[in-house]
Amino acid sequence: MLSIRDLHAQIGVRKILKGVNLEVKPGEVHAIMGPNGSGKSTLASVLAGRAGYEVTKGTAHYLGDDLLALEPEERARRGVFLAFQYPVEIPGVNNAYLLKAALNAVRKQRGLPDLDAFEFLALIKDKMKLMQMDESFLSRGVNEGFSGGEKKRNEILQMSVLEPTLALLDETDSGLDIDALRVVATGVNSLRSPERAIVMVTHYQRLLDYIEPDFVHVLSDGRILRTGDKSLALELEKRGYDWVKQEASAA
Amino acid sequence: MSAIALSPATAHYRAAFERLRPQLGGTAARRVAAMERFAELGFPGAREEAWKYTSLRRLESRRFVPAAPTTKPVDVPAAFVAQRLVLANGSPVGVVPASLGGFTLGTLTTAPEDQLLRSLVGGGTERFAALNAALTLGPLLLSTATGQQSDDVLQLTLVTTGTGPTLASPRIAVRMAPASRARLLLDHVDDGAHEHFPYAVLDIELAAGAHLTLYRLQRQGERAFHIERMEVRVGDHATFVMRDSQLGAALARLDTNVSLDGRAAATEITGVFLADGSRHLDSHIHVDHRAIETTSLQDYRGIAANKGRGVFNGKAIVHEGAQKSNARQVNRNLLLTPGAEIDTKPDLEIYADDVQCSHGTTTGQLDPNALFYLRSRGLSEPEARSALTRAFAGAVMARVDEPTLARHVHDELDRRLVRLLEVAA
Repeated sequence: MLSIRDLHAQIGVRKILKGVNLEVKPGEVHAIMGPNGSGKSTLASVLAGRAGYEVTKGTAHYLGDDLLALEPEERARRGVFLAFQYPVEIPGVNNAYLLKAALNAVRKQRGLPDLDAFEFLALIKDKMKLMQMDESFLSRGVNEGFSGGEKKRNEILQMSVLEPTLALLDETDSGLDIDALRVVATGVNSLRSPERAIVMVTHYQRLLDYIEPDFVHVLSDGRILRTGDKSLALELEKRGYDWVKQEASAA
Repeated sequence: MSAIALSPATAHYRAAFERLRPQLGGTAARRVAAMERFAELGFPGAREEAWKYTSLRRLESRRFVPAAPTTKPVDVPAAFVAQRLVLANGSPVGVVPASLGGFTLGTLTTAPEDQLLRSLVGGGTERFAALNAALTLGPLLLSTATGQQSDDVLQLTLVTTGTGPTLASPRIAVRMAPASRARLLLDHVDDGAHEHFPYAVLDIELAAGAHLTLYRLQRQGERAFHIERMEVRVGDHATFVMRDSQLGAALARLDTNVSLDGRAAATEITGVFLADGSRHLDSHIHVDHRAIETTSLQDYRGIAANKGRGVFNGKAIVHEGAQKSNARQVNRNLLLTPGAEIDTKPDLEIYADDVQCSHGTTTGQLDPNALFYLRSRGLSEPEARSALTRAFAGAVMARVDEPTLARHVHDELDRRLVRLLEVAA
């Protein structure tokens, strides 16, 4: 589904990704872990199409298409979803408007008709219940005045409404207390399916207690140094990241 | 007549006035004096501070014909509210009812002339206020009775129309009696057939405890030159509220002068303007705090695109003795496309020591993070830009508590923004 080959990216003259290789197949859940500044969030941003990053080498293909050639909205409409590390507050644009516009954009791409207001409400009510969100939130501005936990829950709500093919979660666990983390994990787990892939970027192993990955990758200094299963995450939790770097440089 | 040398434009209007004089109501001497004052002041020169960002050279080069009384029918857009009076070139169309929409109505034949044609002195628009007093056809007096409370809205549709470029001089005086409450909607339109030059004067007084909400919509055609002067005096514990939407005309200038004369007098002047195409929109606000515990809020949101230009000049003066006053000024502007321009100048002068004053002005582009966020959810770039631009105006639009008007302005903003953003994308 997602095939990344030798991906190099930089901001200005600062090189951040230095040859990332990653294969993601339908149904898989991948965790990308790494110390601060290793390039985790850059990888998620480049895949979602955020401006300001220059890809200098390498490729990323999604369902056979050149992902990097697509505008951010085209990626979204084809089923790529990025849950932001820092969801943006947009006063004056309400959540219901955004959810409906986003959903209809995806449906159009899939050859489905727009949902009317009634069908839309019926659809999101269930999803909101799952994310433990109050209905009053629909008429509020996007993320406006939300707590950190509410913002992350809102990201997962959007994701569950849009039903992406490839979900990228950028530090979705950061800033969450344990209750909020459980709600978010329940939302993500409800989306696990044989057709869908999930790539989570995270600094801590904690999230992986709730969302069990099939693969764990260690990203350091712009490259994936090691790949394993969830036991690798536990080892990282115990031993930190340094030993991975040392073993990699020794090899 | 005085011996000063007149510019060709000034001479043109004086000659037109002489021809029109027999048809004008009121005392001839008052009309003549007003015309002489205009002739004396003439059109503003390039170096006049009040006209620094707005050149009237194009306006001055035209020879508009002052409107004469007429009984011809006139087309106007549908009313927003149930109670409306149409003024064509400043003259009421049809019989003026004795009362409408919470106001008692008076004309030159039924109301005192010194209330209707009072001279408004000072500022960059005194010349045009004088021209208006000389030429106005059917000045209207709107008044309330003491303690009269009305939730109605009276809409005045001011339409400029003519078989050639027409000068129209609508003039409205509003006298709010003590403890009365009313709402007025001022709708500026034209026939779009020619370059017209409507010059409007509003002369408003609020007695103690009165409350007036004035909704204003300027949606004239693409060729109109519009100048307007609003003079407001606010008494003890009285409140003047203006909700302004500027969407039309080629060039428009609005001077809003509010004098907070009485203790705890208050004003809230908020608005949006959309300077797209090659539109030039200039708003000058001048608030005088002359008594203790007076409060003022100025909050304008401006959007400029293409070759459009917006000018905002907001001034608040807290005079000596106006202790415990509160003056706030906000002006936020959005430049949607390269080539657009905004000139903003917030200005506070404070001569009292126990006051709270603040001003903030920003001019910028849409937040790239918000833009990316919306696009990453599948919205096209024009959709995302349009949503963010509407949200930008929405903060001020939310204060427009007349729903039919608010919907019209929202729809008009949407329609124009989507069009211009699709072209830009």
